[in-house]
Amino acid sequence: MHNPFQLDGRTILVTGASSGIGKSTAVLLSQLGARVLLLARNQAKLEQTAALLEGSGHRIAVFDLAGLDEISSRLAELVDQTGPLHGLVHCAGVGSLMPLRMLTMAHLDAVMRVNFQAAVALTTAFCRKPMHQARASVVLVASVAGLLGVPARSAYSASKGAVIAFARSAALEMAKSGVRINCVAPAFVKTEMYADSLGALTPEQLERLIQTTQPMGLGDPVDVANAIAFLLADTGRWITGSVLAVDGGYTAQ
Amino acid sequence: MNPSEFYLKLDEMLELPAGTLQGNEVLEQLEGWDSVAVITFIAMADSEFGAMLPPKEIAACHSVSDLADLVARHVPAPTR
Repeated sequence: MHNPFQLDGRTILVTGASSGIGKSTAVLLSQLGARVLLLARNQAKLEQTAALLEGSGHRIAVFDLAGLDEISSRLAELVDQTGPLHGLVHCAGVGSLMPLRMLTMAHLDAVMRVNFQAAVALTTAFCRKPMHQARASVVLVASVAGLLGVPARSAYSASKGAVIAFARSAALEMAKSGVRINCVAPAFVKTEMYADSLGALTPEQLERLIQTTQPMGLGDPVDVANAIAFLLADTGRWITGSVLAVDGGYTAQ
Repeated sequence: MNPSEFYLKLDEMLELPAGTLQGNEVLEQLEGWDSVAVITFIAMADSEFGAMLPPKEIAACHSVSDLADLVARHVPAPTR
């Protein structure tokens, strides 16, 4: 039976694969037939994700993306072992609530480094010819906070807005070479990062917040993983420079 | 933690003249005490006093002195 989402024979790097959307994406891509390269800081957690994958040939790479200057060489080392990649998914991200009064340049730098600068470093390294296969696809996980304003989220919003703007221009630059670059923009999804970043609210306040912002309620990581798979597979072959909101109606309001 | 030191930090956070808050003020009636102020307060308690505050316990506070007591309870013990 023809399955347009099939990823058999594709090798795809997933950052932030130890938890949340990255973990869910890695599992789904393996179920669709891909060989997945899992990247994150924590080896034990990566091994937990690896144990959930279907198929074989998967690898883990323990690396802190805050080390921006090493990203290109680490990617080259990885590709030496695996061959050129068919896809890159950047899920790794940081974000806590930080009102303007408490916003320091050190906080802004930490957020921009992993959410935006690492996305740029990964994408530019991936776009070099020996790193990717023909008709490769890059998916950067942005956020609805990159499209709309959210109180106490200015640094996070700016980092995700920067990712979206970067992806659009990079997509145009790479279109002729066949590399597609897109973003997904999730709203609140049931992940550890969501729990941490909204730690300032009681469960009742959280429920009220979700009810008013997302008509379809809290998302599950696999809802975002499905959208990422769609953009990676041939189903997304005529889509580049786009932002797919996966948000239970958040941005429709 | 000295309560008067805490009240001065809270004055600063809420952009009130230094020495305004005395502890008996009711949070619900305090100008500027809104959801963003609560988040700012959590970040301030962490950065100034090293206190990680559970949101449920903040929601249970009624007065400025309750906030001071809460932070005092969550200030980590000094390490030797």
